[in-house]
Amino acid sequence: MSRTIATAAVRGAHACVARAESQLALAIAKHGRDRAVGFEGTAYCLPVILALTGRRVEKLGELEAALREAKGWLPEVPSEKLWLPYLGSALDAGVATLVAHETVEALKPLLGVPLAAGPWLGPTPDSILREQGIKLVDGRMPGFAACVGALPDDETAEQLARDLQERNILVFMGASSNGTSMAEQLQRRGVEMSWETFLVPYGPDTSSLVHALGFACRAALTFGGLKPGGLLESREILLYNQRRVFAFVLALGPVDDEKYATAAGAINFGFPVIADTDIPEILPSGICTYEHVVSNVPHASLAARAVEIRGVKIRTLEIPIPVRHGPAFEGERVRKEDVAVEFGGKHTRAYEYLRSRPMDAVEDGKIQVVGPELADVPEGARLPLAIFVEVAGRKLQPEFESILERHIHSFLSEPMGVMHLGQRDTVWLRISKKARDAGFRISHLGTMLLHKLKNDFPAIVDKVQITLFTRGEEVEALYPEAQAAYAHRDERMGALTDESVDTYYSCALCQSYAPNHICIITPERLGLCGAYNWLDGKAAYEINPHGGNLPVKKGAVVDPVAGQWQGINDFVESASNGAFTRFSAYSMVQDPMTSCGCFECIACVLPGTGGIMIVDREYPGQTPVGMPFSQLAEVTGGGQQTPGFIGIGTLYVLSRKFISGDGGLARLVWTTTRIKERLGERLRERCAESGHVDLYEKIADERVCTELEPLIEHLAAVEHPALALGEMI
Amino acid sequence: MLNLQAKKWPGKLREVSLGKAGLRVGGGTGLPLHTHEAAFPHRPLLALEVTDIDPPRFAPTLRAAWEGALGKPALAAERAVKEHGADLVMLHLVGVHPDRGDRSAEQAIADVGAVLAAAGAPLIVKGPGVSEKQNDVLMRVAERFAGEGLVLHSACQESYKTLAAAAVAYGHVLVAESPIDLNIAKQLNILLGDASVDLDRVLCDPLTGGLGYGLEYTYSVMERIRLAALGGDPMLSCPVICLCGEDVWKAKEVWVPEEKAPDWGETAARGIHWEVATALALLAAGADLLVLRHPEALRRVRRQLDTWFPRG
Ligand code: SF4
Repeated sequence: MSRTIATAAVRGAHACVARAESQLALAIAKHGRDRAVGFEGTAYCLPVILALTGRRVEKLGELEAALREAKGWLPEVPSEKLWLPYLGSALDAGVATLVAHETVEALKPLLGVPLAAGPWLGPTPDSILREQGIKLVDGRMPGFAACVGALPDDETAEQLARDLQERNILVFMGASSNGTSMAEQLQRRGVEMSWETFLVPYGPDTSSLVHALGFACRAALTFGGLKPGGLLESREILLYNQRRVFAFVLALGPVDDEKYATAAGAINFGFPVIADTDIPEILPSGICTYEHVVSNVPHASLAARAVEIRGVKIRTLEIPIPVRHGPAFEGERVRKEDVAVEFGGKHTRAYEYLRSRPMDAVEDGKIQVVGPELADVPEGARLPLAIFVEVAGRKLQPEFESILERHIHSFLSEPMGVMHLGQRDTVWLRISKKARDAGFRISHLGTMLLHKLKNDFPAIVDKVQITLFTRGEEVEALYPEAQAAYAHRDERMGALTDESVDTYYSCALCQSYAPNHICIITPERLGLCGAYNWLDGKAAYEINPHGGNLPVKKGAVVDPVAGQWQGINDFVESASNGAFTRFSAYSMVQDPMTSCGCFECIACVLPGTGGIMIVDREYPGQTPVGMPFSQLAEVTGGGQQTPGFIGIGTLYVLSRKFISGDGGLARLVWTTTRIKERLGERLRERCAESGHVDLYEKIADERVCTELEPLIEHLAAVEHPALALGEMI
Repeated sequence: MLNLQAKKWPGKLREVSLGKAGLRVGGGTGLPLHTHEAAFPHRPLLALEVTDIDPPRFAPTLRAAWEGALGKPALAAERAVKEHGADLVMLHLVGVHPDRGDRSAEQAIADVGAVLAAAGAPLIVKGPGVSEKQNDVLMRVAERFAGEGLVLHSACQESYKTLAAAAVAYGHVLVAESPIDLNIAKQLNILLGDASVDLDRVLCDPLTGGLGYGLEYTYSVMERIRLAALGGDPMLSCPVICLCGEDVWKAKEVWVPEEKAPDWGETAARGIHWEVATALALLAAGADLLVLRHPEALRRVRRQLDTWFPRG
């Protein structure tokens, strides 16, 4: 912790406690120790003191005891020479300061100073807390800002208030700087301040800010089900605030000792301090989720910075584009006659490229069209396009880029009148005349992406900036970078082998339909539905640690050939409720993985051939095993281990680990033309890699035969390598 | 006689206490109805549903059973408990829905108060469906009846925080509803736990499909939930509530008049059969609390329960 801040905070704390003591002495002299003390309309006595000490202070005598306890927490003011950089002492000083502040506030009415006067509302009664506090807890209000001091001028004050209001953030105001306060500034601007407008002026003094923390404490006690008590309980209350109440302090104007002390108090709640002046920063996180004190923030970006530092997530309910949108419009086509503008397809270069960037390199919400907009081109024009999405997030890992980028397709398919096909540099995008007439512009593609990325991936996406290039020059200029990124990702995915990681991911999403079914997803074996690969599992866990995807440590190798690990087997046993104790990643005959029902393809052993066949879901006809897909699905599915039958994702066929324990790709004797088409050249390459001459050509499909006898004859004729491998079962 | 070896499970269901007087539900230590090998400290509870307004979607034969009490929730609740023998009542706030009367929170509070007084039994309060309105109204009801131990129906994955806070702040029981999906049921409970809700104050509603309309899905999910609970998963061990009547009385089979389908038999009897058949299957799947609509269905299910779990 910064020495300057710590020293100032401790000094300030001493001053605050001393003042509270002298005022308390005054009040006791005037009214006696039995005189009742407290705020109106609350059952929580003096809430901050209650939360932090567990004391229910109702009389001046009890307040005296509470203050004495707080005084005991005060560390010594660090001397010039002897100084241990100890965050704890400043935090203790902060807590003591809050007790002193609440004391001073509670004494005000007894000493003839009204709590509510002029613009100031004073402490919040429980009735309003119940009404408004719930919004903080259930997320309707993302957080609150405690604004300390004043802005350089009235206009800037109003701008800040509007910036915060726009984000639905509750604004508490108190204290002053340079002889005025934010509340007074707003009053001069004629801004209405009340609980209805989310602008709540507490009081003119630094001590008035304690009411904001009193509000937070009571929210925790009411809605968090927490009970006040000793130290342990107070810790719980602070933690609750840190995790759930997204509040922060805006230090506006010069920061004196008392304000430092108060800020130290707020940091105990996990509320960071964002200042517009040049005070020392405290960056590393510890108590607060991210930074503790950030300074010198320009007024125009105060609200945005604060939201980012506190990790407040704001969801946009209504995405501001002029056409309707939703998954319902996803399959929609825009026909040639209806096109207002078109990108890609066969005609122009069009690609999308999403990259992760450091937090400070992304200007959140910035959407730019570089090149002609819709209005600048004739109807039916064909333009090049680069959709360049820059994303930053505290928890964003570069490997998630491809996952987010893959979502561009579904996001851009959602607006009515927009057709999006393909991905990466095979994009084909059309905007219809109707959409254009409704006011849709190229820039709205960015709007859509911006909000969808932030709404759907709040855990990993904090900031998004989008540039839409529609001029050839710029589109070409960025293209090499995009290409390099695609290649790099593919290379990484290629290098991502089962051996190179120590953790696989489970997927239990299908358990509702197939009791006891569990998918184990490895880098080289994707989920059998084809929709989840290892990276998806990893990202899904990051996004929602309570969801259906969990990390599973491999543990010791049990069987390297069949692909069994102790950690996986243990997990499978518990996740399948004891139904299965062993899973092989690379074998379909020895302890094969279970299959739910949503497999893309079924692989099954063909007795008499030494090989297997693979049939896809769409294939309607008969197969050499004597069953069409539908019948095979009954044998394979239901979450059972059926040796010789597994459900697989189509892409697993291309994996080097494709039933590698059973002999690998050389076992494949029959499949459907659809699968061959889908895997295309890549299957050819894998066949070549397998070392068997002309393997690809030897694999039969429904054009060769659909029965076992002729298949065996065919295999013999072409000398398929499977024949030599021997029967699998 | 066949000597069956009793199956012992590592886990058991939670026990939840409903209402001010503390009517208890759950606590079973084995598979549903396996009374020969497991302990069931509480018989499954049977509730009847009453509505705040004259329900727009009750089949004629169901309306007949509630003659004179439709849209009079207090009267209906009194009949439900005193005449028909329901263990508790579910007040369905149909009329709060913006399209079905848009009744206010104050009106809902008045209804809840009247029903509580008339029924003298624990009360489930069901909102008009997921929406801000439901949250708002149930929140106010919860606040007004703090400490009454109401059962609030329901919190779901998309919207649970408001009612979670209401249950915590005002001491009510919360129903966690999931769309026939074990993972969501579990995840929702984890989320509720995170939101400081005591899971001993939660009932799980896995969403009921009536006979012929998805009952087998519900059955299978309930089976899984129970197996997981008994296997020791604390996040799935909340007692299960099924809104049996609601889905049953939507079925075509209970609506079609006998003139149109002579070989289906008498319409009135058919509806009751449909509800009883669904109810018995749900009990076999592990329901701890059934909400029914037809008083005669309740009577018959009760008779069956009496043979499964002799009173005493
Ligand atoms: S099939 Fe797909 S969705 Fe289902 S459990 Fe496996 S990976 Fe998950």
